[in-house]
Amino acid sequence: MTEVLASRSFRGPAAEDAIEDVHNDLDSLWLDVPFVNEMDQMTFTTAVIESASNIVQHAQPAGEREVELGVDTTVQPALLQARVSAYYAKPPFGPMEPATPGEDAESGRGLALIEALVTTVTFERQDGTNTWVLSRTSSED
Amino acid sequence: MEFSYEVKDSYAEVKADGRLNMVSAPKLREFVTDVIAGGSNRIVVNLENTAFMDSSGLGALIGCLKAARQAGGDLRIAAVQPQVNMVLKLTSMDKVLTAYPTAGEAFSND
Repeated sequence: MTEVLASRSFRGPAAEDAIEDVHNDLDSLWLDVPFVNEMDQMTFTTAVIESASNIVQHAQPAGEREVELGVDTTVQPALLQARVSAYYAKPPFGPMEPATPGEDAESGRGLALIEALVTTVTFERQDGTNTWVLSRTSSED
Repeated sequence: MEFSYEVKDSYAEVKADGRLNMVSAPKLREFVTDVIAGGSNRIVVNLENTAFMDSSGLGALIGCLKAARQAGGDLRIAAVQPQVNMVLKLTSMDKVLTAYPTAGEAFSND
């Protein structure tokens, strides 16, 4: 069984306040595992915040319930992983492929940025929940 | 995130302190737009105390750059911290948003 060295879980309405809460959770997570190098902390935090922001900005409710954001983060000896979920949400609209916007575009870089920041990104759709699974193989100092 | 600005001899310095994310990005855009409307079209955004920026924050800086250029000026960034530098490089936007070590150097050769 894989050893989990530290973890954090957030769940709440997919609203702007949630982004600051998730970011604060991540900042406190790194205090528990100071051996994770700064580059891994920085890249992983950025990927998680990008994914969570994507849900807050774009997830649409599937029914009458409001969309909820869930972020479950775990640190294992050589792996950082986050499950970033949109509960009670419709399947994402449009292509899930990273875009390549022009230099003067003010949006559209999020997915490409996430892919550049982590080792793997997978997407799951189950029981009305969209989940992004972000994994980054942690590097040695 | 907190914003402030100071008009210098040849530019206006905007300080953005905190996290430049989807919450604060529209506020930065509005703040810089107001500074431009106030008569300054050469803007330096001092990111000395901006420890974090996501793609929304990057989009806001690009919007501010466009607004400054439409007003006949330019926008430059200064004192970029490691996470912000990483986002600029991974998106190749470091070629568009010119970064200077300090705010004072941003327009010093113009």
